[in-house]
Amino acid sequence: MSMIMSEPAPIQDANTPAGMLEGDLVKRARRGDLAAYDELVQRYQQRIYATVYHMTANHEDANDLAQESFIKAFQALKSFRGGSSFYTWLYRIAVNKTINFLKQRKNKHHFSLNDIDFNAENDPDLVALTSDKTPFRAVGLTELQKKLNEALMRLSEPHRMVVVLHDVQGQSHDEIAEIMDCNIGTVRSRLFYARQQLQGYLAEYAKPA
Amino acid sequence: MNENDNNFTELKQLLKLKRHEVPPPGYFENFSGQVTSRIRAGEAGGQRTFAERLEAEVPWAVSFLRIFETRPGVIGAFATCVCLLLVSVVVHSSRADKAARLAMSIPSSTSVSGSPMASMAAPALMAASDSSGIIASTNPVTSLEPVSTLFAQPGSGSLFQPAGFGVPAH
Repeated sequence: MSMIMSEPAPIQDANTPAGMLEGDLVKRARRGDLAAYDELVQRYQQRIYATVYHMTANHEDANDLAQESFIKAFQALKSFRGGSSFYTWLYRIAVNKTINFLKQRKNKHHFSLNDIDFNAENDPDLVALTSDKTPFRAVGLTELQKKLNEALMRLSEPHRMVVVLHDVQGQSHDEIAEIMDCNIGTVRSRLFYARQQLQGYLAEYAKPA
Repeated sequence: MNENDNNFTELKQLLKLKRHEVPPPGYFENFSGQVTSRIRAGEAGGQRTFAERLEAEVPWAVSFLRIFETRPGVIGAFATCVCLLLVSVVVHSSRADKAARLAMSIPSSTSVSGSPMASMAAPALMAASDSSGIIASTNPVTSLEPVSTLFAQPGSGSLFQPAGFGVPAH
């Protein structure tokens, strides 16, 4: 019987920013410790960037907005009272910044989509999706990506945000309600409406199985 | 909700495709460094613009101003409200001014003793004016101005009284 040897987890010193708990990092960052804040940025950069990117469908905009969100969060750290987690608070800043940006940019969509990584072709969900039994079988992966983004951009900002946070990023209804400062019922109804809309938009090109 | 979820199975699978959209390789290696260097640059040079400072210090004002950006119709409504407010303030103040002037004005032909306001305000002054010739007025400069005859005829209704220094007889 063979045992799968997993790589040992790196030992992290609790005195270095990498080994610290989020609360300690936030306390140090509030006192102006940029090394601590750098660690916080590293912990959340991918999620924040991804959320903004899926909302804007543009890499350059996502880069600017994600960076500005982190900078604004640092400047506003003194007003962070710890009522919610730092992560939720940071998300709220990014979401508000993105929605404001999109309102100003209204009707000026220009896609500069990120490439789909090579793992996508091996993703069992996508393999199943582009198989013969689904309406998407005749569409290539890149084209599917483009159509999907076009459909997403047709949704209103709050509806798109709910879909991105729930269906793309896998956040719970509770978390989304806290991030978007609304109740769970609103999140659920927005999600249902947004999915209906998306299905309608994508049905235009999808061929029946 | 589960039934609803089942209706969207394919859509949810499709949306998972988004997870495979990734930024250029090595992008996140520099990301946090860029953020901290921008923070340092901002702190060192005090490069925060007025808008940035306003946003950090008075966020409610900025969100109020953003309403104007997103809903142009609100600008018109707000401007109309401001104009109406301004007009009503001007009208109100001019009315108040007029009323005050009316209340304060004393016709030049009316004598002081005939004015009910004056008699209520300073009855002693009225009495003095009657006897000594001082003209009472609401004007503080002229109210106690003595008439020209005050010193000319010291004996007649003068404010002065002759003082006598008699030597007591022993």
